[in-house]
Amino acid sequence: MAQLTFVGKPIPKKDAPGKVAGEAAYIQDLKVPGMLYGRILYSAYPHAKIVRLDTTKAEKLPGVKAVLTGSTIPPFKFGVYKDNPPLKTGKVCSLRDEIAAVAAVSPEVAQDALGLIEVEYEELPALFDPIEAMKEGALLIHEEHKTNVLKMPWKLIVGDLDAAKKEAAHIVEDTFRTQWVTHCCLGASGCIASFDINNNLTMYSNTQIPYLAQKDFMEALGTFGLKNKKVRIIQSVIGGGFGSKLDTYAYEYLAILLALKTRKPVKILFSREEEFFATSPRQCTITKISHGCTKEGKLLFREMEMILDNGAYTSWGATTPSVMMLPISSLYKVPNVKYTAKCVYTNNTYSQAMRGYGNPQATFAIECSLDQLAEKAGIDPYEFRFMNANEPGETTPQNFKITSCGVKECMEAVKTRLGWTGKRMQKEGRGFGMAALVHVGGGARVYKSDGCGTIIKIDDYGKVDVFTGSSEIGQGSETIVAQIVAEVLGVPIDDINVINNDTDVCPWDVGVHASRTTFVAGNSALGAAQKLREQILDLAAATLNEDPSALDLKGSVIFSKNDKEKKIALGKILRSAHYAPGGKMLVAEYFYDPPNENFDKEFKGNLSVAYAYGAHGVEVEVDKETGQVKIIKYVAAHDVGKAINPMLLEGQIYGGGVMGLGYALSENMVYQNGKIMNPNFLDYKLLTAKDIPPIEAVIIETDEKNGPFGAKGIGEPGLVPTAPAIANAIYDAVGVRIKDLPITPEKVLKALKEKEKR
Amino acid sequence: MLHYDYHKPDSLKEALGLMAQYKDEAVFIAGGTDVMVQIEQRKLKPRALISLRNVVDLKRNEDTTIGAGVTLRELQKNPMIQEHFSALHDAACNLGSIQIRNVATIGGNICTAAPSADTACPLLVLDAKALLVSATGEREVDIDEFFVGPGKTVLRKGEILKEFKIRRFTENTGSVYIKHTRRAAMDLPIVGIAVRITLNRNDVKCRDALCALEPISKIMGYFEDEELKCEDARIAMGVVAPRPIRARHAEAALKGKVLSEKLIAEVSEIAVSEASPRDSVRGEAWYRSEMVKVLVKRGIMKAIERIVRPGEVVYPERLW
Ligand SMILES: Cc1cc2nc3c(=O)[nH]c(=O)nc-3n(C[C@H](O)[C@H](O)[C@H](O)COP(=O)(O)OP(=O)(O)OC[C@H]3O[C@@H](n4cnc5c(N)ncnc54)[C@H](O)[C@@H]3O)c2cc1C
Repeated sequence: MAQLTFVGKPIPKKDAPGKVAGEAAYIQDLKVPGMLYGRILYSAYPHAKIVRLDTTKAEKLPGVKAVLTGSTIPPFKFGVYKDNPPLKTGKVCSLRDEIAAVAAVSPEVAQDALGLIEVEYEELPALFDPIEAMKEGALLIHEEHKTNVLKMPWKLIVGDLDAAKKEAAHIVEDTFRTQWVTHCCLGASGCIASFDINNNLTMYSNTQIPYLAQKDFMEALGTFGLKNKKVRIIQSVIGGGFGSKLDTYAYEYLAILLALKTRKPVKILFSREEEFFATSPRQCTITKISHGCTKEGKLLFREMEMILDNGAYTSWGATTPSVMMLPISSLYKVPNVKYTAKCVYTNNTYSQAMRGYGNPQATFAIECSLDQLAEKAGIDPYEFRFMNANEPGETTPQNFKITSCGVKECMEAVKTRLGWTGKRMQKEGRGFGMAALVHVGGGARVYKSDGCGTIIKIDDYGKVDVFTGSSEIGQGSETIVAQIVAEVLGVPIDDINVINNDTDVCPWDVGVHASRTTFVAGNSALGAAQKLREQILDLAAATLNEDPSALDLKGSVIFSKNDKEKKIALGKILRSAHYAPGGKMLVAEYFYDPPNENFDKEFKGNLSVAYAYGAHGVEVEVDKETGQVKIIKYVAAHDVGKAINPMLLEGQIYGGGVMGLGYALSENMVYQNGKIMNPNFLDYKLLTAKDIPPIEAVIIETDEKNGPFGAKGIGEPGLVPTAPAIANAIYDAVGVRIKDLPITPEKVLKALKEKEKR
Repeated sequence: MLHYDYHKPDSLKEALGLMAQYKDEAVFIAGGTDVMVQIEQRKLKPRALISLRNVVDLKRNEDTTIGAGVTLRELQKNPMIQEHFSALHDAACNLGSIQIRNVATIGGNICTAAPSADTACPLLVLDAKALLVSATGEREVDIDEFFVGPGKTVLRKGEILKEFKIRRFTENTGSVYIKHTRRAAMDLPIVGIAVRITLNRNDVKCRDALCALEPISKIMGYFEDEELKCEDARIAMGVVAPRPIRARHAEAALKGKVLSEKLIAEVSEIAVSEASPRDSVRGEAWYRSEMVKVLVKRGIMKAIERIVRPGEVVYPERLW
């Protein structure tokens, strides 16, 4: 490959200085003239009939401009399963059920108005445990649905499980559980809904799916009697998404309805407490898993049965089994696979996607169970994994076509850096553990299109505006897109301005999910930049009297590769084209939709055009008296195809590792009877900088042929294998296996005491 | 909307006068790290805030006096505190975060009187006395009498906590505070244990290199041979009762005895029997009891280690 100027370089994030200096305008900072403030009244019970709802006093409070209840708004349901009305009537099914909304001249008045709304409930018995909710004769959360089990039969069957079980020399079986955790975005949810005189809607939003949100809002407006109206989404600077902003929510529809009612822009902002209890977290799961292998340790089958707490309504959380299937069928070579999953309505909060999209839950069960199997087969857990590891060129049982695959290199890096061979089993109370991962790394066709568009224009001076559909949610897409365009156009990176926050201006994109932005938006930007480059070189070829193929473009100068004397400044070429008779200004456009496949009816198909692999390893020390687990060393190796920006890439690995450590050890939304008991950062134990061990990020480059400059996705993988690696290390250290997350000191100590008794 | 007046007096007299003007419906604010949170949560709706930040009389930090207005960060950075009142220094190093410690005061921590207050147990084992002032005069209260219950103290309306008096201990004294948390920063203790030990001799300084490298249990063995006794002891426990408490029976069991690992184990069991922890989101009762046992033991050993090896500030590898 030719010498690269910007790609592959640790270029600091373009948006960092503005954020550090406090200049970046988050949704919290935005104001629109005449704006009112909305607040939401939530249910006081997890399951109850609304007997009486009286808003008279609230309406009379000076400063209140509108009060909405379920009976004063048009009937409408939103969400993946269309089971969620923005304001509930008749009954409430969870403590986050919205029952009224107020718009007022200030947030304080709106808050006071909520206190004046009188509600009488008749409490109903409730279900908080999905296993209870699945039982025959259990009360129904949504009567019209007839059952509490969602009609989404997740089922993947490959090969002959029965035969494999007979053949297996060693079989292990166990049950693993994961907890509710939430995204903890620094930037809490919020929006401003604003209508113009013609009833076209502008939404100021921090969504991570602007174009799907636009479609949702257009449909909603249709049911509100405003057919064929235009919706424009303008994104503020976004303070983190991690999947939380992958859907549209009641608060957004309520802002829209309040704005319609008052004819004024309405802003709704979540408090931190609301962010904890009224946004949709990663659901808890119960997984029964069984693995079998031959005498030599070759994996023969994997069987998994999973129950997911869906909560009271349905968002993307219910579809996470689709992505869970990826590690289940394709992490290690495993010829026979059976997986079923049920999502169950309960009176808990409802679940959503979160970084990894089900993969962390599935991989926790898989990688812990594999360790058990290795032990049973009497094989070193590293050797066992290496022996069964995936390889390039493989087509997995779910029909994934593995192009590049560096999982073995990742495992080797982990082993070497940890000192697995020499140091393991050396120190009392110390232990080693590892786990691998596979994730989509080349888009994921979960929607009709997996595409992203880019438009590039260049001005008279060679300054470039890139209009991309992809959103910057902190992950660094703006910088990656700029690097790619700067590389192709041979202009300084500071001359690249990325515009990525306005559906009126930018082309379509399906959203920030599935670790797809660098790959898909990167390929899209690459395509558009190449088209623009061709136009520039064509113009220069005429002037320099050279063949375009003999020209190159670097440092904003076009020059002949054959004759150093033949060169011209980029700006000069652009200006002469602009001011020539007839005039010409350069613009290029490109839409990239990867050649991946939707799943067929059997949940098979090449979901992504590339797959990202990795392996994490940890050394832990367990305090046997307190149960505390200390991470002594943490190595995270990732096959990323190509690091377009090693600094940002390491950032994703560190960030993922930190999130994974919290998932493994401390984070837990403690629910009691449907109520979250720790809706704040004091009691929700998000780890702090002081808790985080140094994470050694190892970047393995495998040059993915379909990726922009060889890159694959890395947004989610960093947190996928953390929890099982730690659980395995704890087992290695003190011989107790913790099967439910998070692995708290209490659980470790209890297990140690039980082990002593035995 | 919340409205309140704000005053920043320069003297105690002025501060007391302002409070009288507001007929005790104002609230004193020092660092504000408790007050502002309570206002935000609408648990507190003061007519006025009277800031104590400019009151120099609360800022003394010398010898045997620690002003109520001294910040945790000032305590953390003070070598005198580290050397003579190590338990308090431990607390000062681990309360909240640097940002919090920069403004949070020891007086505010004690007046809020949370069962988890980090400086409470250290002050209990250091036998601190609190000096309270009001328009009518001054009074001195033993710190152990200061706390009444969660959020409740003997402070009368309008009274100001001026300072703490702590006597200097002899060289053969060591103290420690162990804060048991889930996170390494920005966390409240699941259990907090403070210990002060005074030994009967001051010729036990273990100066030779060999001794410094021995594990503490081995050193305990030497002490047993030498009949090294615990002359005085204090043990205080946080988050195991409605207020920070002393483990008096455990202290008594230690006093005058020859130190041994066995004795220390017994003492820690006694401490457990004096605790009445509860289940909460922050920790389960059984685990809290278990930690009292472990941490009292570790606390005693650490306090002795600090006498034996006064130079060693932290020895995390050895004991915790
Ligand atoms: C993020 C965060 C983390 C925290 N972490 C910890 C922790 O780890 N451990 C811990 O123990 N606490 C912690 N706290 C609580 C708090 O920081 C401490 O209690 C702190 O010491 C309070 O001191 P202050 O000066 O801020 O008190 P303020 O909030 O100013 O006052 C607290 C109370 O004391 C009264 N008061 C203050 N000074 C006087 C005086 N001289 N005379 C009479 N009354 C007075 C006030 O009226 C008020 O009732 C934390 C708080 C926050 C916000």
